[in-house]
Amino acid sequence: MNWREFQSMQRVAEIGDRFVSYADEGEGEPVILIHGIPTWGYLWHKLVPALAKQNRVLAPDLLGFGYSDKGDRFDRSIARQAELIDAWMEKIGVERAHVVAHDIGGGVGLRLATLFPRRVNRLCVMNTVAYDSWPIEMMLQLGHPESRRKLSASAAVKMLKQALKQGFATSPEDELLDGILAPYTTEVGKLSLIRDAAALNTNLTTEVTHLLPRVNAPTLVLWGEADVFQLVKYGERLAWDIPGARLVRIKNARHFVMLDQPDQVAEHVSAFLNGGQAESTRAS
Amino acid sequence: MFGLGKPKQVTEREAEGEIERAYHEIKQCLRVTGINLNFRTWAGYEKFFPLMWDAMRPTVETRAFEEAADQVREEAVRAAEALGRLDAASHVRLGESQAYQIKAALDLYHYVNPKLLVFTSAVKLALGGEYRARGESGAVTPELIERGAPARMYPMEMVSAEPEDERLSRLFDDIKQTLSLSSINSDYRTLALWPDYLEAGWGKLKPVTGRGEYKQSADRLRETARSLARALPISATLTRQRVEELGEDAGEIIQTTEKFEQLLPSLIINIALFVLDWRAPEEAVKSPFPAAPRRKANREQGGVR
Repeated sequence: MNWREFQSMQRVAEIGDRFVSYADEGEGEPVILIHGIPTWGYLWHKLVPALAKQNRVLAPDLLGFGYSDKGDRFDRSIARQAELIDAWMEKIGVERAHVVAHDIGGGVGLRLATLFPRRVNRLCVMNTVAYDSWPIEMMLQLGHPESRRKLSASAAVKMLKQALKQGFATSPEDELLDGILAPYTTEVGKLSLIRDAAALNTNLTTEVTHLLPRVNAPTLVLWGEADVFQLVKYGERLAWDIPGARLVRIKNARHFVMLDQPDQVAEHVSAFLNGGQAESTRAS
Repeated sequence: MFGLGKPKQVTEREAEGEIERAYHEIKQCLRVTGINLNFRTWAGYEKFFPLMWDAMRPTVETRAFEEAADQVREEAVRAAEALGRLDAASHVRLGESQAYQIKAALDLYHYVNPKLLVFTSAVKLALGGEYRARGESGAVTPELIERGAPARMYPMEMVSAEPEDERLSRLFDDIKQTLSLSSINSDYRTLALWPDYLEAGWGKLKPVTGRGEYKQSADRLRETARSLARALPISATLTRQRVEELGEDAGEIIQTTEKFEQLLPSLIINIALFVLDWRAPEEAVKSPFPAAPRRKANREQGGVR
């Protein structure tokens, strides 16, 4: 599936004055896939068909990302994004869902599991931000207000494309990277991404650290173990802090684990969401 | 050709100093999320641009200016209605979110383009000495409208004017050639975010732009805008003489302004035609973003100074 096909699948929901675009595929217990930065719902395009065999798969673009509202007039912090997911679930009539989340989307997932526990059935976080593992240097630079002037949209995309390659164990095709960055190729898209980066804030994960031992949702921590952006030591710490959480390390995978090893990820996530347990703490 | 290709446009990213200040005020006073081609082009005349904006700003903020634009929009919708439906959307497979965003983008231009036409006509009249001859407006304090882009207005997102995509590049060339543009307008650059839709829409629109009644409607709309602009209170500080004193090429600026005034009525009708694919005429004639009155300052309400 290319990014244009994914985009044409997206539905829309108005949340107050903002709008959220989201994919909505399949039937069954709902599962929400939450992307990170600098991606959008398309990140999950290889996982959606596999999960949609048994579940209703909902993949929103966070506010300020992808094809959701990119106006320059709202807060894009993970705290606001968690509130947005809560409001969006209300809007589309989903009371409770499994949450599968990556990168800063994982930060949103951790906030949902700790602060909105009634919304989360099972939680799977992949190569997530947590504790003080973030923001990474590149995002700190991108989020500087002067980036707006210093970087044209095309220069920003070129820089991000190079940086994203470090997030893969395999060599990603240009078409894939172009798809991930497609919403950010305009000046509005670039500025939105700069504001998204400016909203990255360590405090929003450290402030829920003390709540992790109280997470009730069964939790799977899945990690592309060669990740250079979010180190696996944070996955180990999460699996230790969250009661009953299991850590699954995926070999030959980095930050974009769901794209490096889509079949393995689909197998683990599907088994976990539908009542099975991840069998081991180290997958090959 | 429209836009003349001279001077270089100033993008929002490039704007500094007085131009950056004026761009901020333009977005707040016109209640819009981006800076259109008119302003990006005028800003290339860096001494003229702040003079022009400072002279026009008090007028732009009035209810009279907003209502003038509302009249232009209504007339454009009636003209578009008479030209018949484009029916472009039914020829393209669009997702729910894509359709939602296209409608939102059309609302943005449906709102702002009539304001640009009235604005442009007023600038042209001012440079032609119209307001100087008439003098300053009367003593009645005009009603002011609120500042700031409406909360739901779509961002003025645009693809590059010179896209790498060959299909878009060909489409832009065709639009420019057909409409006698030297630069592709913001509207089409925004609609190019959904290239299938723009291609289908342009395919339907292009033959309409060659029809006699289309050109007559555009001419009538231009006359309406001029007539409305004539009635507006414009500061007498914007004159050809003042522009020349600043060392700017007044003749070239007037020529550029006349080209904008020539082109804008067609663009407004084009957007109205697109809008009528999504909205009923009685809805389309209304402003997509009605303006509330300016809130009085606390001081005037007797609050804390």
